[in-house]
Amino acid sequence: MTSIDVHELTKEYGPRRAVDRITFQVLPGRVTGFLGPNGAGKSTTLRLLLGLDRPTSGAATLAGRPYVTLTDPLRHVGALLDAQAAHGSRTGRDHLLALAASNRLPVRRVDQVLEEAGLAPAARRRVRTYSLGMRQRLGIAAALLGDPAVVLLDEPANGLDPEGIVWIRGLLRRLAGEGRTVLVSSHLMNETASFADHLVVLGRGRLLADTALRDFIDARVHPGVRIRTTDPTALKNVLARHGHDPVHHPDGHWTVRHTRVDDIGPLVSAAGVPLLELSAQEGTLEQAYLALTAADAEFASRPHEEV
Amino acid sequence: MGPLTFAPALHAEWIKIRTLRSQIGALAAVPLATVAFSALAGLGNGDDDALFSAFFGVTFGQIAAIAFGTTAVSAEFQTGALRLSLAAVPRRGRWFAAKLTAIGLPVFAVGLVTGLTALTAGAATSGPHAHRAPPAEWLRGTTGCAVYLTLMALLAAGLTAVLRSGVGALSILVPFLLLVSFVVGDVNGGAAGLLPDRAGQVVLHSTWDGVPGPWTGLAVTALWTAAAVAAGAWRVRVRDA
Repeated sequence: MTSIDVHELTKEYGPRRAVDRITFQVLPGRVTGFLGPNGAGKSTTLRLLLGLDRPTSGAATLAGRPYVTLTDPLRHVGALLDAQAAHGSRTGRDHLLALAASNRLPVRRVDQVLEEAGLAPAARRRVRTYSLGMRQRLGIAAALLGDPAVVLLDEPANGLDPEGIVWIRGLLRRLAGEGRTVLVSSHLMNETASFADHLVVLGRGRLLADTALRDFIDARVHPGVRIRTTDPTALKNVLARHGHDPVHHPDGHWTVRHTRVDDIGPLVSAAGVPLLELSAQEGTLEQAYLALTAADAEFASRPHEEV
Repeated sequence: MGPLTFAPALHAEWIKIRTLRSQIGALAAVPLATVAFSALAGLGNGDDDALFSAFFGVTFGQIAAIAFGTTAVSAEFQTGALRLSLAAVPRRGRWFAAKLTAIGLPVFAVGLVTGLTALTAGAATSGPHAHRAPPAEWLRGTTGCAVYLTLMALLAAGLTAVLRSGVGALSILVPFLLLVSFVVGDVNGGAAGLLPDRAGQVVLHSTWDGVPGPWTGLAVTALWTAAAVAAGAWRVRVRDA
């Protein structure tokens, strides 16, 4: 079992604190979404994890060990940091061959991951002829090269076409299903919601949340019900009698907040209100995230206040 | 750092070099430029030093060796490449040593070929009455040529790591070697003889006056190279990648 442990991690670049005393754990067997706006410290945290940047203070370990102490680290941890890292004049296969050699991985693995990433037909083409999506696939192939227990991907969906996005979603689910530890950074909410089980959210270098995806949403966004009817008066009357306050929207539909279809459906049905549509409005990750960052912005705008 | 952990890193760095056409091209250009410019100089009855008349072109051949050493390192400073390399080989000292070995060994081999080719071509084109370099000078010239070119390539590699830029390193080294050293080098004796190229090229001459001699000259060049490599290694170790 390989978990990622980040403890009181801090990184300063000059006067700027890119990562500010964050502590969290990433557990195996699930996909952890690493969320935050650009500049929140996600990429810095990943670089600190990989020993590429040195922390100002605190520690980041993999299965209890700092990354730099791992022998043949690609066999333990696979990472995609930058899809542009491959040299344009080298073929995709040669790029992976060099990586494989550095960690004593067999050439067979190179061809396997190229196949897995859907790059086998382009394997012997120069990387500069690759589209952004293909480079992204090459970076993911590189991350999978050592069959690692821990997979770190920074914005893996960048530049992928719709087919590629479906592929990465399935891949992440599969890796977690195999018991691996999967940490995927993104600033795309809907995309993250489609594959993550757990969330770690950063804002301006600080840890804002470390919680299950479902809990994260439910704690911040209340579900609602969406209704369309041909008889608004009857709808308003029956809902008002039961203490609900429906909101009318310009395109003609109504929403009732803080309630569920199971409660509203029987009411309007019993009152004989003619319905065109009755549907549940689940909170989205995006709504929950915006609610969180709005609260954080409010907090941050009050200076001189310690946590 | 045991051989078991160094060999894979070296293997990876060698793959990176042999899979770039520009790197192979730069290696091939070393003997080509050396022999071609020596031949050109020979047409004008250039140098009366028997050995150096064959090695005159090294001034230009070394540019190719320097370009080779520079681009092998500077490729790592393109977007994200160094991060990928250091994620695979997190011990930075080991990684840099592997990089330098992968630069030095092929340049040394190509340097031997260059030395032999230049001397053979020189002997074939010189007139029947020209002074012929004796076998001992051939041996010294060939090994000296290989060592000199290796040191210059490593000097360039170290400087590139210090500056984190291939353009930066070449824009210092190329004008220095083609212009400054020519001008300053004509001033005989003194500190000019201790410049890395002036000192290292003494080994390519039949005769020399005073200090440094052929091997002490190479030692002087080796000191310059060691300084550049040490500074480069320090930069690689301390900087965030």
